[in-house]
Amino acid sequence: MVGMSMQPYGIQSMLKEGYRHLSGLDEAVIKNIEACKELSTITRTSLGPNGMNKMVINHLDKLFVTNDAATIVNELEIQHPAAKLLVLAAKAQQEEIGDGANLTISFAGELLQNAEELIRMGLHPSEIISGYTKAVSKAVEILEQLVETGSETMDVRNKDEVISRMRAAVASKQFGQEEIICSLVTDACIQVCPKNPTNFNVDNVRVSKLLGGGLHNSCIVRGMVLKSDAVGSIKRMEKAKVAVFAGGVDTTATETKGTVLIHSAEQLENYAKTEEAKVEELIKAVAESGAKVIVSGGSIGEMALHFCERYKIMVLKISSKFELRRFCRTAGAVAHLKLSRPSPEDLGYVDSISVEEIGGVTVTIARNEEGGNSISTVVLRGSTDSILDDLERAVDDGVNTYKAMCRDSRIVPGAAATEIELAQRLKEYANAEIGLDKYAITKYAESFEFVPKTLADNAGLNAMEIIAALYTGHGSGNTKLGIDLEEGACKDVSETKVWDLFATKLFALKYASDAACTVLRVDQIIMAKPAGGPRRDAAQAAGAGAEED
Amino acid sequence: ASMMQPQIILLKEGTDTSQGKAQLVSNINACTAVGDVVRTTLGPRGMDKLIHDDKGSVTISNDGATIMKLLDIVHPAAKILVDIAKSQDSEVGDGTTTVVLLAAEFLKEAKPFIEDGVHAQNLIRSYRTASTLAIAKVKELAVSIEGKSVEEKKGLLAKCAATTLSSKLIGGEKEFFATMVVDAVMAIGNDDRLNLIGIKKVPGGNMRDSFLVDGVAFKKTFSYAGFEQQPKKFLNPKILLLNIELELKSEKENAEIRLSDPSQYQSIVDAEWNIIYDKLDKCVESGAKVVLSRLAIGDLATQYFADRDIFCAGRVAEEDLNRVAAAAGGTVQTSVNNIIDEVLGTCEIFEEKQVGGERFNIFSGCPSGRTATIVLRGGADQFIEEAERSLHDAIMIVRRAVKNSTVVPGGGAIDMEISKYLRQHSRTIAGKSQLFINSYAKALEVIPRQLCDNAGFDATDVLNKLRQKHAMQSGEGASYGVDINTGGIADSFANFVWEPAVVKINAINAATEAACLILSVDETVKNPKSESAQGDAAGAMGRGRGGGRGRGMRRR
Repeated sequence: MVGMSMQPYGIQSMLKEGYRHLSGLDEAVIKNIEACKELSTITRTSLGPNGMNKMVINHLDKLFVTNDAATIVNELEIQHPAAKLLVLAAKAQQEEIGDGANLTISFAGELLQNAEELIRMGLHPSEIISGYTKAVSKAVEILEQLVETGSETMDVRNKDEVISRMRAAVASKQFGQEEIICSLVTDACIQVCPKNPTNFNVDNVRVSKLLGGGLHNSCIVRGMVLKSDAVGSIKRMEKAKVAVFAGGVDTTATETKGTVLIHSAEQLENYAKTEEAKVEELIKAVAESGAKVIVSGGSIGEMALHFCERYKIMVLKISSKFELRRFCRTAGAVAHLKLSRPSPEDLGYVDSISVEEIGGVTVTIARNEEGGNSISTVVLRGSTDSILDDLERAVDDGVNTYKAMCRDSRIVPGAAATEIELAQRLKEYANAEIGLDKYAITKYAESFEFVPKTLADNAGLNAMEIIAALYTGHGSGNTKLGIDLEEGACKDVSETKVWDLFATKLFALKYASDAACTVLRVDQIIMAKPAGGPRRDAAQAAGAGAEED
Repeated sequence: ASMMQPQIILLKEGTDTSQGKAQLVSNINACTAVGDVVRTTLGPRGMDKLIHDDKGSVTISNDGATIMKLLDIVHPAAKILVDIAKSQDSEVGDGTTTVVLLAAEFLKEAKPFIEDGVHAQNLIRSYRTASTLAIAKVKELAVSIEGKSVEEKKGLLAKCAATTLSSKLIGGEKEFFATMVVDAVMAIGNDDRLNLIGIKKVPGGNMRDSFLVDGVAFKKTFSYAGFEQQPKKFLNPKILLLNIELELKSEKENAEIRLSDPSQYQSIVDAEWNIIYDKLDKCVESGAKVVLSRLAIGDLATQYFADRDIFCAGRVAEEDLNRVAAAAGGTVQTSVNNIIDEVLGTCEIFEEKQVGGERFNIFSGCPSGRTATIVLRGGADQFIEEAERSLHDAIMIVRRAVKNSTVVPGGGAIDMEISKYLRQHSRTIAGKSQLFINSYAKALEVIPRQLCDNAGFDATDVLNKLRQKHAMQSGEGASYGVDINTGGIADSFANFVWEPAVVKINAINAATEAACLILSVDETVKNPKSESAQGDAAGAMGRGRGGGRGRGMRRR
């Protein structure tokens, strides 16, 4: 090890013991770049439809099998500060668009790797940054030119148009199954799409994972699927009004500790009776209002349940506040806090609500076929939990893509066609540039090549041949030439119908460049000594101890 | 110590990562090892496994899902196999060994290709295609049993149940139990809830002493003095189901009595007695002859009911009470006020009977006929436990067969036929995929091969005979499978070795999904467990779930 004999000197002597200080090109910049590179090597093999999965076991012993970069980096618990910047960029991308996180990380990693070469060539990081910044604005400009004409407007309720935009995003998660998933997600999204599509809320498309069966058993439910049984013995209700009580269905007990004082035998005999009569009165009031189903957010008293059964009311319990709120939206009901007679307009309505058994799991399905454009649920089936989780992430990506296309429906050619075109045009731009920026812009352009390279590598194709073929094609003016992974050849994307959303590419590009520039800007790192808390485990404590010696 | 210098620490200390082909191969090896554990349990001649867990309890089983669950596997890739066994169990109930074995075999076939440098994605794509083709073929070969008369259908369903049971511990009595299971499933009709079929275990006696009740049966509950005087048999009684205590006790916890006049004391005591008598009177007034309660029925109530020729049982398990409610058509009451006839249930015969060393309350001939109870008899505890699991499998199979009424020939016949079909198909493909689909087809042959191995036959010999039959142009050999009795081959379909098509479809589907999932992993990252008592790398890798739940957790 290099620094076993590190004595405090320079700035180190000003810092507390245990602080670490790294500065200069070699110690800070290059090391940062290496860390980021390492991170992007992990995620890179997951890029694209043929990407490999990662098996991540997090600190809670939960197993993730996925190729979703956002999930991977989330569970990896990245320690390195510079690599964390990349993770933040990926998270920003995930929040903004909900897809393209892998592109962000891998592209940032590639940019940094190329920057390293420039640094070794002798360029100063600030020159690289200035070149990269120029390149970004030019790239955005070019990207806008590459937008497929006629794609600015779209009918978000047209299934075919939606699928054509969603397919690439879903295919990168579940290759070979994108047709089934896309069709499911699109149906679900179109159902809940509000009048003004920009107000589309991703929360309205729910996913319910049920173990067993296979993907082809998956279906869409207009309404909600609750993973619980009905409380009483009434398991099915058609065309029913619904009353929702958030606080629970029970006799109200005092919060303050109270004792009932009884003075005579008569009082004692009547005590139980009055309570019973009170509950009956309340339930009767609900029944008279026309409600056939009671949904409770809290506990359901046995006595209350007894009367519900007597008045033929189905009782459901939904303990999660979020689920309850969604249920209210599904049924169009207003939740009451206290058990009381609901007014007619507060009652919700469902077409049918029934307890069913799917693959050994008892679920309650609330359907609302007619007015129901509020919530829809994708019921996913798969043979293991990991597969289900991965399918869910693919569905999430699909739904997020739908949200993004509601806002901005522009599309660009996918399958690396855009990237090669960007690379080519940026190189031309760089050649026209005078000054040191030229080198940085050229490297920036070259960074784009990693997309076709990775796609080809992951699919087991010869990357160099493919890239060469792509450049030739693009050079002769075919701007839409991309990789066809099925056949392992280059093909026009308008034939293979691989389209990416403009917004996804744009933000991925921006976030990746920003993150890369931020990493490059750092020339000093000062790390505080990690605070020794009770939660630190023995090994780490021992390690830290050895370091101080 | 790696915190020492500005070298790159990307991940937390103690994080274990492995990447690349070696990782993939090691995952495959782990899965093959798991497959080897359950391998020998397949089929009628399969052996059982005895699992002795850390709590000292012993389980004997040949049910794949049960074994996989008890194995407590920690290897992340092998865990996926546990998941598919569970999924098969919940979806179709049987075929759990098959699914694990198939997945392991697919991976085993894939291993040489991976080692030779084939990209896993190519394999995955071919496997997925093969599974789609295979499933389509199963659907095509399946024979529908729809549209038959009830009697005929029952017979056919019994065949399916018998195929399942033949591979279990109670295989010797498969006809006996198959009929019982079919009757039970037919009794609950279309109401698709498994808990409506109860299985009660009474150790002792002979398997043949097991019987089916077309209603509910449960073990006599704890009873107080006076119980002996109650009548034990009724014809068409009304049944009252309660959720209240019939005991002399304080009515409410939060009530307190304060008296200024000592003479009133007696009146309070009387009032308490009045309350309980009032309740009892109301029960009697309702006209019910059998009173069941989820909560206790005290000795006062027991004697009161005995005087009025009413049978009562307290502390009935909730599950049993609900099943009585469903069968007898009553509802459980939390109050004795205003008991109307509608909430009372009824049945043809209620009686308390001696079964082995236990007394059982049996409600039979219930009007709604939506429940059935199997009272299972047999020797040792482990034996009866395993018998219960076997019956559960058989019940699930029959339920699935009722729902999707198509069957395929068992005994490895369908597997051989798909295998042949895929081999033929692969010849039409140019390119690498041909090899992969061929290996998928070869993997499917593991089922008949293992059936032979487990029965002690010469697998190669039998397989070759089977291949010859299945390759016949006329297609008449399509339903030939392993004949477990003679060690030769026989027409499974004619011999009534049938299984529901849905079992095979789900098994192929789940096994392929799992195999593809494992093949698609090229990197494992294992973060150190938070809060673990010893955060060293060995602890993070080796110890299973038990150690990881929290600091200072002792071994149980």
